Amino acid sequence: MFCRNQTTRATVARGSALEMEIRRGKFRMSIFMDSSQDSDIQKKIDHEIRMREGTCKLLGACSQKDQALEASKSLLTCNTRILAYMSELQRMKEAQILQRATRRPSDSAPLDERLPCKGKVAISDLRIPLMWKDTEYFKNKGELHRCAVFCILQLGGEIHDTDMVMVDRTMTDICFDSTIIFQEACPGFELRMELYSCCSEDESSTGSASRKLASKLGSSLSRSSGKKFRSGLEPGGGSPVSNGGGAPLLLPAPSNSGPKYHLLAHTSLVMAHVQDAFRTHDLSITGNEECSYWLPLYGSACCRLVAQPRCMTEQMMSGRLKVKHLGGDSQSCKTTYSVLRGTKLFCYLQEDNVEAEVEPAFTIAINKETRIRATDKDPHGKAQSICISNRYGGEEVTHVLSAERREDTQRWMEAFWQHFYDMSQWKQCCDDLMKINVPLPRKPTAVMTKQGSLYHEMIIDTSDDIGTVTDILARRVKEESFLSHPEGPLHWMSLFGESPPPSHSLQGAGLSPHLYCRSPRDPGRHQRGQLSDSPGSPLFPRSRPRTLSLDAKLSSLRGRGYGSSPAQAPQPIPSCSSSTSSHSSSEGSTASETDSVPFPRSTTARSSLRNLRAKLDPRNWLQSQV
Amino acid sequence: MSFIPGQPVTAVVQRIEICKLRQCDNLILGFSIGGGIDQDPGQNPFSEDKTDKGIYVTRVSKGGPAEAAGLMIGDKIMQVNGWDMTMVTHDQARKRLTKKNEDVVRLLVTRKSLEDAVRNAMV
Repeated sequence: MFCRNQTTRATVARGSALEMEIRRGKFRMSIFMDSSQDSDIQKKIDHEIRMREGTCKLLGACSQKDQALEASKSLLTCNTRILAYMSELQRMKEAQILQRATRRPSDSAPLDERLPCKGKVAISDLRIPLMWKDTEYFKNKGELHRCAVFCILQLGGEIHDTDMVMVDRTMTDICFDSTIIFQEACPGFELRMELYSCCSEDESSTGSASRKLASKLGSSLSRSSGKKFRSGLEPGGGSPVSNGGGAPLLLPAPSNSGPKYHLLAHTSLVMAHVQDAFRTHDLSITGNEECSYWLPLYGSACCRLVAQPRCMTEQMMSGRLKVKHLGGDSQSCKTTYSVLRGTKLFCYLQEDNVEAEVEPAFTIAINKETRIRATDKDPHGKAQSICISNRYGGEEVTHVLSAERREDTQRWMEAFWQHFYDMSQWKQCCDDLMKINVPLPRKPTAVMTKQGSLYHEMIIDTSDDIGTVTDILARRVKEESFLSHPEGPLHWMSLFGESPPPSHSLQGAGLSPHLYCRSPRDPGRHQRGQLSDSPGSPLFPRSRPRTLSLDAKLSSLRGRGYGSSPAQAPQPIPSCSSSTSSHSSSEGSTASETDSVPFPRSTTARSSLRNLRAKLDPRNWLQSQV
Repeated sequence: MSFIPGQPVTAVVQRIEICKLRQCDNLILGFSIGGGIDQDPGQNPFSEDKTDKGIYVTRVSKGGPAEAAGLMIGDKIMQVNGWDMTMVTHDQARKRLTKKNEDVVRLLVTRKSLEDAVRNAMV
């Protein structure tokens, strides 16, 4: 009658006075039963509607392409969530009505049905390969056709979205780094994954010819007449935003403005796909080459889908038990505090040992091969006992458990039955505990505007070696993080020492022309839009990796008097050309490697030359420490 | 463990999960790799087939995360977190192992003793 797994339903005891009153119609069931669930969903819907209003306002007000894309993505997610909550509300109301209509006095089946435990489902390392035509890959000129993509993942009532990723033809895969965890999943779950994309050209893709004309005319005429002109041409007649020319004009219906995402591909994952490893799944692709949001998908998605049922992670049952090991050398009976969790019954000598995380005295395996039955030693006696048999190798090992009271034994049997049921429902997820990695919260870094592709990552230049590039990248990351924290400490001003003064900076102020450090002192210009505006305009003379031909490199090196090669005939472990092994990796401890040279982070010509010599000499067999 | 062009590569693999260790600002795994399609395979002391350009484990630091996870010297790494490592350059391999935003790497590795064990078990 009382079911452990239904936590949100109020249970009404059969034959109780309350039930009689309900049947007589004096009280409505909904007051006790489902109103809490209803108001829960209602609250969620209200929350999402407020989020949506805020996002629409943001969409209308933002001027930057990146912000518009992010806002549009949030809008899409909010809409999806609202739809999902509303349909769930609908379903619940229908179920209530059905229940009331068909409820019969003897009908208590729903309360007695055994339900499997819920669990957590996590999906991570989502990667979708792309299949560009080879002519596209190696095109070095021409504008980059970029798309903004993200994924919406839906399981039951929970909807999550991944971060947005910009994709262009230099990328071979779409990678989503986020790990998404769904808390309440049943074994029959269906995880629906939808990939949305929106093309983001440099010229506004949603602008019609008249709008472009309007903005051009508007900015070429004087300000006031330009404003009038623009509002005249604008179909909806919203008030134009008064900054520079070419700003997106506000439209009356909030859902029309801003970039629109379209569904590019989708797939559904179920429990059969759960595995503690990376698997590839098929994607169903909607859309064709003619669409603006098209990306050449290979047709599959690779990810790691794991599930942690509650029976594996939580204590399902605990209590004092007397355990006797039959058939062993010792027939002793131990009094233990036992905990049922996962595939084992842990028997501790004392209750405090559980919290103290001391090793249990012994563990009994409870898995699919285990057989459990209750024996009635003496019907008039104090308690029944439970027999647990396992086969280890060829032998059968039996333990006999007895509790202090009969009710306790009953509860233990019930717990074991429930546990077996859960394991049969969750199948492969109960073989072993699958780990879910919760990524540590990182400092939020802005999206790098220029993502190097694998093909551009081979840097061969005399002054650029890996150490330098790592420096540059590290500095760039720092710089990007300061972009979102304008009130950064001033010691990084030195990073911008080599930059040419940007033209629109505050020269008049008379201080150093560094845009970023000016903003804390000048509240007038302190706008996020301003900061992210200074684009990927490289502040360092060599921030973009270049590829040069190997021949050119070798000849220039030789010209420098490289002369005879170091001829380091590498010997097998461990002392092989260890100087070559110490290049590049910015990580790695030197403690364990006694013969390694400390990684050259400074760009001394000699060390970079040495490393390059090592890299370019085909006779070496490089080793890297990771 | 060598490959025949045109045929799928099959191997008996062991799954190894290494949790990176944080040392000051660096995340380390505690082993060294060698090999790659841009390297000379003839100098690989661990490979059976001297034309094998795969990524091999050349050193495992004592007490490091890799040793704790069961990685052994001479292992050939087939996959890292789902990414293939049988046809990559040395630098690409190093990059895939040292991503800063990942705390755990899951490798699929193969070694001769695994193949032998399976063969003997099937007899």
